[in-house]
Amino acid sequence: MPEIHVANLTKTYGATRALDDISFVVHDKEFLTLLGPSGCGKSTSLMSIAGFEQPDSGSISVGGSVYFDSESRTSRRAEDRELGIVFQSYAIWPHLTVFDNVAFPLAVRRYSKAAIRAKTIEVLDLVEMSPQARRYPHELSGGQQQRVAIARALSASPSVLLLDEPFSNLDAKLRDRARGWLRGLHHELGLTAIFVTHDQDEALSMSDRVLVLDGGKVLQSGTPEDIYRRPASRFVADFVGHCNFLTGVVVGNDRRRELRVELDGTGANLIVDTPTVLAAGTPITIAVRPEAIDLAPETASDAQRQNCWPVTLSSASFLGDHYDFETEMGPGPLTVQTTNAVSGGQLRVHIPATACAILTP
Amino acid sequence: MVSAVLDSAPPRASTRRRVLPETMLQATIWLGVTVVVVGPLLPLLYASVRTKPIYQAGGVFSLAAYRQLFGDPAYWRAVWNTAVFSGIATVVAVGLGALFAVLCHRTTMRFGRVFTVLLLAPIVLPPLGLMVGWTSIYGDSGYVTVVLAKVLHLPVWQLSSVLGMGLLGATVFMPIAFLTCRAALEGTDSALEDAALGAGASPITVIRRITLPLLRPAILNSAILVFAISFEALGIPLILGQSAHIDLYASYLYHGWQNSPTPDPAFVSAGAIVLIVFVSGLLLLRSVLLGAEQRFISVSGRRGGAHRPLDLGRWGPVATGVVALYVLVTAIVPMVGLMLMSFVQVLSTLVPPWQLITGDNWRIVLHDPTLHRSIVNSLVLAGGGALLTVAVVVLATFVAHRSRFALRASLAPTLMYPRAVPGIALGIGFFWTYLMFTPGSLVRNNLWGELLVLSVRNLTLAYIVIYPSMTRIGRDLDHAARASGAGWARTCRRILLPLLRPAVIGAYVLVFISMLNEFDALVFLAKPSTQVMSVTMLQNFTRGVAGPVAALAMVQTLIVASVLLIGAVALVRSRRHA
Repeated sequence: MPEIHVANLTKTYGATRALDDISFVVHDKEFLTLLGPSGCGKSTSLMSIAGFEQPDSGSISVGGSVYFDSESRTSRRAEDRELGIVFQSYAIWPHLTVFDNVAFPLAVRRYSKAAIRAKTIEVLDLVEMSPQARRYPHELSGGQQQRVAIARALSASPSVLLLDEPFSNLDAKLRDRARGWLRGLHHELGLTAIFVTHDQDEALSMSDRVLVLDGGKVLQSGTPEDIYRRPASRFVADFVGHCNFLTGVVVGNDRRRELRVELDGTGANLIVDTPTVLAAGTPITIAVRPEAIDLAPETASDAQRQNCWPVTLSSASFLGDHYDFETEMGPGPLTVQTTNAVSGGQLRVHIPATACAILTP
Repeated sequence: MVSAVLDSAPPRASTRRRVLPETMLQATIWLGVTVVVVGPLLPLLYASVRTKPIYQAGGVFSLAAYRQLFGDPAYWRAVWNTAVFSGIATVVAVGLGALFAVLCHRTTMRFGRVFTVLLLAPIVLPPLGLMVGWTSIYGDSGYVTVVLAKVLHLPVWQLSSVLGMGLLGATVFMPIAFLTCRAALEGTDSALEDAALGAGASPITVIRRITLPLLRPAILNSAILVFAISFEALGIPLILGQSAHIDLYASYLYHGWQNSPTPDPAFVSAGAIVLIVFVSGLLLLRSVLLGAEQRFISVSGRRGGAHRPLDLGRWGPVATGVVALYVLVTAIVPMVGLMLMSFVQVLSTLVPPWQLITGDNWRIVLHDPTLHRSIVNSLVLAGGGALLTVAVVVLATFVAHRSRFALRASLAPTLMYPRAVPGIALGIGFFWTYLMFTPGSLVRNNLWGELLVLSVRNLTLAYIVIYPSMTRIGRDLDHAARASGAGWARTCRRILLPLLRPAVIGAYVLVFISMLNEFDALVFLAKPSTQVMSVTMLQNFTRGVAGPVAALAMVQTLIVASVLLIGAVALVRSRRHA
């Protein structure tokens, strides 16, 4: 089964670098997500693997066969790459029925009529679309069209599935359902999948591994937990979920795994739980997730507690399943997310030492 | 269990093979189109700088033909006449086109949709039929002219003048301005007009101060186009200018060719080259201006949106009356005149038409072998030529916009270029091409030669119908086919072609009609055995035979009407799933 190797991929459009020396490996049966804002290079990477974009340099190989290599001037044609692709627009052919859409990859491969029929029905069963086999695309709902697109991508039994923002045209409810369904399908079929999205929830909930891209570069690669809990850079922290950034200077390493940081402008000392050892005087930035911060009315014992400071409330908003509070701690704002309402009076925040992530400058 | 399903791929019946490498196919298409478009211009240029025709030995390179052309006072008279004619035609056509577009698409004027169809009718009406109709009614001895002059003793106009020809030209070219302005109107936000209404301006003021100024780029664009096209007008001076001995540029070349003491004179080729350079320059200027204009359009915010018509109030009926009068005077009355003429020997004010009714003209059309043959030739040429043209343009559009062929970028301008070559110049170019090269003798003096000219001339028309539809087909649709394993040829055949079907039908109908109505490019190639209806009509009319010409024009109109009807039905059927 295939491993996908992407090495040193570079692509420029005029003055912009769409891909800036990107390298990554997708392991067999892995569900890898390329996550990033628009223009970060995620779709260009995917379309380079699919063969619809021609990188300027680098190499791509799938399961040992070279698809693209600028050194040896190899570029296998898109139609010979044997991949399954699901497009953002679905790209279901409007003049063909559901059956003919799904049967097309098999017809191209010149299977016998009976084999095409049997295989198409099997795949349509898999995506629960057999009852609609005789319908035309314009007679289907968005969710059904999307399943036809996936069925078509799977019908020629590819071992690699490429998905380019397949859920972006679905409404929120349907998107949730489709996520679970696709994850299950991936698991059952044992495919290697590359999934492109700008939606962090999709990336976190579906992937075995996430690659965060920006400006044509891979910023971080890791499991969803890694990416969320231990973002390597300010961009990753900010892009994946909301984040507070605290800047300060290292005062000292108190004990093993404990870093004491003097926060800028407040003089307050923040204890950070980390294996990293840094020399005193090093300026650093720390990321803290809003939901990791505890907000409560101030009590007498708070002054003695570590990482505990009084704050003033500047705004509060209710978002259904949680509250967002904008608070002022010393010179800077701090966003806190809680599940319970907190009412006025003197408030304090508590930032757990384990919730602080040190960002590489 | 499920993975077992997907792993159980049946063995392939046979491996995939490509009959022709796709690059070979694409190169063939590219080369074919480029050769037929650029090819004929070179022999034309060559003929214009040789002292003797290509087929005569002993010629040398010389600019004598150009000297002879520029030294001929008649040439400069024709140039001046053409400039005045084109100026009048442009100003009137663009002024009316813009006004009618605003009235039909931005105001509460009644019958806007009906008027749109009627105003666009000159595009498909046989131009020669319209001209003959005009002469029969408004000509110097036309029905209306005579009624006004002899019966009512009013001062009358003279249609056989540069002014008269300019006005007829304006009605023929008005649809171009109308369509351009309409497209621009559909692209602008009616909120701009609402804002002016909200600021207290009356609807008439809004049209004058907001709508028309916003149309300025479209007006300029269509003005250059109309000016360029009217510069090459051949039918109008031949039909109307003959009696007054007024030549325009194209008819000067035509007469020079026909009346020259030496056959195939070089100065005509030189004149054609000068005309090509002039018209190409104008159209180049237009595309430069269009490019500049596009930049402004792209920065404007919301486009389209809801279009609320401007309420004309008590001016509404006036507008309806003006447009109705225009349609009546320029199209309906001349077409009725044409029909009457086809049923009488002479159309005279002295005798009521019903006393002159005769079937002779129609009998001639049906029984005269020459006329009969020209009808068959026309149908064969238009039917086969439209098929060839549309097929070539579809293939070329695939190569130009949906392939990775190295030279694809040059195809779109190549397909657009034939429109910039005046029909008469294209005709002379092909005349020389067929003489100069041995394969040319295969198509010389037969219908194949005329078919090729007509096809080249109509490449642009087919392309501008098909290209917009092609851009509306998302690239993902062919990417999905490639990802499914289909090669370029199969993707084009199975995915793109079926999706293009409505555009292909539309292009076929329009090219068919255009070929049926064409004569400019054919007058130099037609031999008695290969004459088509338009050329037969032109030559008979200039010889003073009007009745059968009118009947032939009616036949042509009927063919056009039936093709439009069949096309409309086919179009509706083809849009089931799109």
